[in-house]
Amino acid sequence: MTEVPLTAIVAKNPIDAELNRSSQRSRRLRQRDLVLGIATPVILLVLWQIASSTGLIDAKIFTPPTTIFSTAITLIHNGVLTHDLGITSLRLVVGFVLGGAAGIVVGILLGIFRTLRAAFSPLFSALYAVPQIAVLPLLLVIFGIGETPKILTVAAVSFFVLEINAMAGVRSIDPQLIEAGRAYGARGRRLFWHVLIPGTLPAIFTGLRVAAALALVVVTATEFVAANSGLGYLVWNSWQLFEPNEMYVGLITIALVGVILTGIVELVARRVMPWSRRNARD
Amino acid sequence: MTGGDQDEWLVRAREITKVFTTHGRGVLALNEVDLTLQRGSFTSLIGPSGCGKSTLLRIVGGIESPSQGTIEHAQSLKIAFVFQDHALFPWLTVLDNVAFGLKMAGVDTKERNRRSQLWIERVGLAGFEKTFPNALSGGMRQRLSIARAFVTEPDILLMDEPMGALDEQTRLLIQEDLIRLWEETRKTVLLVTHSIDEAILLGDQVMVMSRRPGRIKASLPVSLERPRTLHDMADPRFVTLKDTIINDLHDEVMASMESR
Repeated sequence: MTEVPLTAIVAKNPIDAELNRSSQRSRRLRQRDLVLGIATPVILLVLWQIASSTGLIDAKIFTPPTTIFSTAITLIHNGVLTHDLGITSLRLVVGFVLGGAAGIVVGILLGIFRTLRAAFSPLFSALYAVPQIAVLPLLLVIFGIGETPKILTVAAVSFFVLEINAMAGVRSIDPQLIEAGRAYGARGRRLFWHVLIPGTLPAIFTGLRVAAALALVVVTATEFVAANSGLGYLVWNSWQLFEPNEMYVGLITIALVGVILTGIVELVARRVMPWSRRNARD
Repeated sequence: MTGGDQDEWLVRAREITKVFTTHGRGVLALNEVDLTLQRGSFTSLIGPSGCGKSTLLRIVGGIESPSQGTIEHAQSLKIAFVFQDHALFPWLTVLDNVAFGLKMAGVDTKERNRRSQLWIERVGLAGFEKTFPNALSGGMRQRLSIARAFVTEPDILLMDEPMGALDEQTRLLIQEDLIRLWEETRKTVLLVTHSIDEAILLGDQVMVMSRRPGRIKASLPVSLERPRTLHDMADPRFVTLKDTIINDLHDEVMASMESR
């Protein structure tokens, strides 16, 4: 009597149990990874705090995290941090968006038209090889000490990175896809919007990720030398005044700006290219 | 009725010659090839690799132009392609991939989704409408590209080694599907393949091409009755025809090896 249900259990159970075990195992591993990812920096911070408050490391240079935190609060209250954050974000976003948009348009055009590519591509590659920050003095001569030269350096680096990536993107579209588009009746403008642009998007977003990181480097460097406001100025100025705790606040804020900017790019990428998200997950 | 249809040509190619330039050197790919596709016929084109059979298919389809010779299409001829590597749009879902041709033809959303859905079901992809091609298996991608072609209700279907990238089991399944779909719809088909079995099993006639520069070496009618199944591969007529083609191709392949 018990034999019938028993065989049923034997037939079903080992597989179910194994499936269960493996899903539990992978969930446990995911949780452990998450805990490790958070715990490691927290532990390091605690060690830093202990080391600098006990005098194991020089607290004047390696300001304890709690002091950095209270400095940050002060800087927010007196408006210094928010002002610097605002002005840096403005330079960064305006330069990144304008330069990036121009770079995408020009890159796509160069990718499509051989004549344009032959005329401009070598020139742009040569110009890109000049570090954008090195052109800053020239821009200062031309535009004076206003916002324009700072935004332009950010725009320049964004432009070149996107021009190069968008052009490469157009050129690396699988010719079979173009052919398939044509064969199914997409010509001219329709081929452009329905095949060429979606085919170029992955390369454009690669460019945006790179450009976001470089733009932050450039805006910080610009503010080191040619500004009296902004997060770069905050860091540079605290070095000159020997205020390491303010420097740390500046550095952390710059890092946060970078994280947010790349986060936005990533979010838009997922929105605009749902197909690559699935691919990445597999 | 079928008798009358047999006389109606859809594509007529006369003395097609094609020269390619690669690395500054001219290569003669096709040399004075004649080909006529009758309405409702299934023509298989087989030949050694590099003999220009894909080029011929592309010229027939009008996406490549011949260096010399004439190509005539019947009036308002609708052509659909099934490409070698499927050439599916990775940024479109299964449904949107199928609907692409209709969208370009200006069919409204509701109508094109209805017709696409029908073909998605016919090729067995129901439930995958919102999936992107990257997440599909090779066989499913192939079915998708077949649905994308059929949904446009073409007069002619041009297939360029459609099973080239599939494993043997999947290939057999899709061949059976193709036989069934073709016998239901009786589209005019030109199939480029390197599989002799496939050429005979699907075709009304098998055209054997020579090595490069490609010419039509033999045009062999397939006398097997329809509906056909995979079991016809054991039919004596199948075996005899296969043997003939193997001999034809063998000479060509040997010759192309020697000339290398």
